[in-house]
Order: sequence, then structure tokens, then C-alpha cells
Amino acid sequence: MDVLTGWWDDYFWGALIVGKVFICSLGLMILFGLLGAMAKLSNSRVAQKIAGAYTVVFRGTPEILVILLLYFGSAIALTSIAQIFNPDIKFVDVPPFWAGTIAISIIVGSYATETFRGAFLGVNPGSIEAARALGMSDLQTFIYVRIPEMWRLALPPFGNHMLSLIKDTALISIIGLNETMFVAKQAITVTGKPFTMYIVVGAIYLGFSTIVTLFVMGVEKFGERTTIGAK
Amino acid sequence: MNDENNQPLIQMHGVNKFFGAFQALKNINLDVRRGERIVVCGPSGSGKSTMIRCINRLEEHNNGHIIIDGKELTDKVKDINAVRREVGMVFQSFNLFPHMTIVKNLMLAQQLVRKVSKVEARETAMLYLQRVKIPEQADKYPIQLSGGQQQRVAIARALCMKPEIMLFDEPTSALDPEMIHEVLEVMTDLARDGMTMICVTHEMGFARSVADRVIFMDAGEIIEEADPKTFFNAPKSERTKKFLSQILTH
Amino acid sequence: MSFDFSLIAESLPLMLMGIGITFKLLVISGVLGFCLAVGLLLMRISGKWYLNFPAQVYIYVFRGTPILVQIFIIYYGLPQFEWIRDSVFWAVLREPTGCAILALTLNTGAYVSEILRGGVLGVGKGLLEAGSALGMSARQKFIYITTPIAARLALPAYSNDVISLLKSTALASTITIADMTGIARTIVADTYAPYEIFMSLAIIYMIFTFGLQKLFGVIERYLGRYSRREG
Repeated sequence: MDVLTGWWDDYFWGALIVGKVFICSLGLMILFGLLGAMAKLSNSRVAQKIAGAYTVVFRGTPEILVILLLYFGSAIALTSIAQIFNPDIKFVDVPPFWAGTIAISIIVGSYATETFRGAFLGVNPGSIEAARALGMSDLQTFIYVRIPEMWRLALPPFGNHMLSLIKDTALISIIGLNETMFVAKQAITVTGKPFTMYIVVGAIYLGFSTIVTLFVMGVEKFGERTTIGAK
Repeated sequence: MNDENNQPLIQMHGVNKFFGAFQALKNINLDVRRGERIVVCGPSGSGKSTMIRCINRLEEHNNGHIIIDGKELTDKVKDINAVRREVGMVFQSFNLFPHMTIVKNLMLAQQLVRKVSKVEARETAMLYLQRVKIPEQADKYPIQLSGGQQQRVAIARALCMKPEIMLFDEPTSALDPEMIHEVLEVMTDLARDGMTMICVTHEMGFARSVADRVIFMDAGEIIEEADPKTFFNAPKSERTKKFLSQILTH
Repeated sequence: MSFDFSLIAESLPLMLMGIGITFKLLVISGVLGFCLAVGLLLMRISGKWYLNFPAQVYIYVFRGTPILVQIFIIYYGLPQFEWIRDSVFWAVLREPTGCAILALTLNTGAYVSEILRGGVLGVGKGLLEAGSALGMSARQKFIYITTPIAARLALPAYSNDVISLLKSTALASTITIADMTGIARTIVADTYAPYEIFMSLAIIYMIFTFGLQKLFGVIERYLGRYSRREG
């Protein structure tokens, strides 16, 4: 255990990065998911096709590949664009944090699209009819009837999407993100104890997973309490 | 085949059943002779289903004795299986095995529990399918049959095990009105052939024409029991009268 | 920025050489993982706390940590222990392929056991009561009633997991295995053409995914033949 002395604060900062990635990717994932779901549910054939392609592409491609493509690809793209303005620029570096965060948001967003779509479709049509019959506007129906029912339906799979975001963060270490895996790699070269170091990484991620799972359970309880159930 | 000392086929003495703090059965005493047809009625939550489910151990009674054909029903698996061999049950929601054809539904338990050969099981199955008047459905899947047909298959499935006693737990409550008749017809035939049966039902016409005894339960207790004529024309208890007035006026 | 199609044409055959390894990882881990999953499932539904609890802990740990961490712990971490290096398992654990298969198996086993458990829980209680009323033993009910129905219920989720497993095989490239992704990364390192290479690789995976989905569609139709009304 003393091999870990001196590394705890590095792990701490690494864990903080994991947290940062989570917060940023969570927002983006919800955005992509909602856009995709609304596109699929819209009347526009074009939107449906694009959203369809989105889900097929990113659910069928390995996450590591998307991360690599986005990271290396965007570096090249941005370099080319920058060279238009300033031909002396040799290379534009894309921070692994953003390449990775955007990549995992896009990927998990494609799953979230299906989840949100299913949840919107799962809203009881009777409730909507009742709202219309009572004279509520479309917007009011959306806010007060559709959304409350929809997020409760989406919650369990959404919890899984949040867990996916956390676990996919470890993949971003491959492109150099300075989170816990990265810290472990450095620690290993110094201490020569790969097992111990990676176990700590696992424990940190398990901790994050547990927090998210408990949070989701709490929200589910809240959702149940404030729903008029069959009891 | 006669019971020793002409004992009743089913004996329930002082049976109580609790679900946590809630008492579902209060001091139930009931004797059923071989060949008797009993109808049990009462409001929801009165414990009627619980009572018959205790007879084949789908529910466990907390105290009191239940004795079927001389064998006491206890925790022991041997005792439970011995009882289940002799007691057939028909459920409100049919519970046919959806992934098997009709004839396979009828054959499965025969082969597994009574260790009957495949050929013999099929013969018995077709015999009882004939009896419930739908032999042509043998190779279909349950989902392809109407509710009334499914319930008749369920009755046939229970009969294939050649039980001494048949329990019916609200067999027509989940059926569309036009299908209730075909199921009651089968049950009436069965009663005429001398099958000992306990039937939880709201079908009072059936009770009047078939039952030897009608039992009224409320809040876990047996309130009144009598032959159908007395029960419907001259009920003794206030609660019975109230119940009858509620269900017979529509 | 031009798209170099000739490069794709040259690289495709190289990447496809890795398909054998990808396939091997997928099938072996899939089969072994399934066996493990069945074992865990039986432990979970046994009703005995000394079987249920360890299974729950195992599943919790393996679903709560990133698979990349699990791979690294096995490949980089285990050699830290001399007793591992001296044991009979070393022949397998020394090779990256063996480590990858072990990690993927342990991981997918945890996920699949929960999927199977979901199927088992979905079997209608009334059906089991009918079995009891007919005098069937617990073992008979499990074999003839629970298993066929649970299999049909679990199939969609299981097919998703197999596709996840396929995507996880790409992570084998991080421990030097020359699967399709590994070969692709080598090519990209040489040619600096991430778009062409990674995109064509993504298409290969998508085709693979599509094939798996079609396969499971056939299986689903076969298993579900009793739940469709047309005779």
C-alpha cells in the first residue's frame, strides 16, 4: 500500500478530470439524444433519415474507433483550416479532453436517441387527449403532460447511458487524456506495480458508477412518489 | 375407492392465513364430501381465492389443518406433491404455456409428473380435448385460440392428470360475455359426471343449477353456507343479503 | 484535403486480415461468457445467500468498471505476481490474446447474466403456478416453462450485448493484438491518413454489426413463432 504514497493526489486530479468529462459529456449527450429523437419523431423524411443514419453509424462502430477518428481527424481538419489563415502553422493540436468528450457524447447520444424516442412514444395517448380536451395548448401539453411522463419512462435506460459515459472516459486515456488510467501508466513506470495501480483506477471508476447508480435510484424514488400511481 | 369411515374428501379445520399483518382467512372450517359441488362467492378480498389456493398449497396456511383424501397438507414436498396429483386447478387467466401447442400443453405434465409414455399422453390429451369439444385445435398455439377456447383447454389440461378434485378460481371472470357459456357448459358436464369441485365464481346461474352447496365468504370468514334454494331465497345473514342484492340487480 | 481512395483500396485487404482475430475474440469470449452468465444466473436465483451475494458482487464490479481497465489489469497487472508467472495459467496469460479473451469473457458474463435474469423475471407468475398445480417439480418448471420463455424475452437485449462485445474486441488493439483495429492504427501511424483508414474500418464494423442483427432477427422470428397469431 505504501507504493501508493505520493500518487494519491495524482489520482485525485485524474478523478476530477473524469468528473469534468462526465459533466460536459452529459449535457452534450442529452442534447444529441433529444435532437435525434425529435428528428426521428418529426414529419420530415430527411430528418428521419439523417437521425436514422446517426444511430446506425454510432451504434455499430467501436467507441475507441470514434475517439481515434475524431481526435486525429479533427487535428488534421483544423490544421488545414488554420493553414488557410496562416500558412506557417504546422499543426493544430486538439485537446484530448474535447475530442474525447465530444466523441463519447456523440456515441452515447445515439443510444439516448432511441431511449428518448421510445419514452416519448410511451407516453399514454389518453393523457394527451385529456389535456387537449381540457383546452391546453400544445406547449402546455408538452411541458406539463408529455415531459413528466416521458422522463420517468426514460430514467432506467438513461441511467445506463450515464454509466456508459463514465466508463467510456477510460478510453480517452488512449489519446492522452490525463485521467486516472494515464496516472496509473506513469505510476507503473516508477513503482513497477501495474496490478495495484490499475486496481486503484478500477476502484475510482467503481466509485463513480456507484454514485451515479445511487443517484438514479434516488431520482426514481422521487419520480414514483410524485406520480399518481395505481395505489 | 371409498374413504375410510366415509371421511370427507377435503377437510379444513380452524385454518388461518396471514399476509404479513393482514388476516386473509379466519378460522375456516369446511368439509367437502366426494362428489359434492361447492360454489364459493363473496366480495373481492373476502379470501375465497386464498382459501382454495391453500388446498393445493399455492398458498401456505399459517395454522389449522387441511386434510385431502386422508393426507394432511404440510411443508413436506412429498405431502404437497401427493395432494397436487389429486387436485386439479383452473385459473382465471388460463395460464396455458404459450410456447407449446395445445396438445403439448396437455401432455407435458402427464409425461413429467405421472411418468406416462408419450403415446399414452397424447391419447389422453385428445380424449379430453374431445370432451371439451375442441379436438381440432390440438396443434395450434394458445395465442391463436379465443379466450373461451383457451379456458376449455385449461380445464382439459387439469383433467388429463385424472384428479379427484377440481378447483376453479373465477374461471369465467376474464372472459368476454359471449364466451362464458361454453366454459360453464363444460363445467356443468363435469359436475354431472360426479366430479368433486369447488368453484369460486360470480356466475349465480351456474350456482343455482349445479351446486350442492353455496358458501358466502366475507372478510376472510365463512358467513353462510346452504343449498342453493335456501341460499338464494332465504339467506340468513345480513351480509349475505346485502351481497346478493348488489350482484343480482343488474 | 483530398480523400485518398487508392489508399483505402490498398489498406482494406490488410485490415481484413485482422477479421479472423476479431471473429475469434468474439466467438470464444461470447461462448465462454455465456456459460459464465448461466452459472452466475443460477447463483443469483438459487435463493441461497452464499451463492447470490458473491454473484451480485461480481456482477456489480464487472459492470461498474470500464472494460479497458479490466483488460489492463489482466494483461499488465497480473504479471506483477510471481505466483501467476509460475502457475499453469501463465501460458495463456502471457499472451495478449489469452488475456483479451479472459477479460472479455469475464465482462460479458456479468452483463449477460443480468440480461438472462431479466428474462427469467419476465416469465408470468401464473404460468409457474399452473406448473405447480399440475405437480411439476421446481427443476421441471425451470427447464420446460422458464427457460424457453425467458430465452425469447432476453433475446433482444442479448443481441445488443453481442454487438457490444464485437465493439469491445477493438480494445484488444490496445494490448498489441493485431485485430482489425490494431492493423488500422498501424497503417494510420505510417500514413497519417486517419479519415480514410478509420472510416473504412468503421464501415467494416458496421457491416459486421448489420450481419449480426440480421442473424438475431432470424433467431427471434424462430423463437417467437408461438406468439404470432397467423398459423
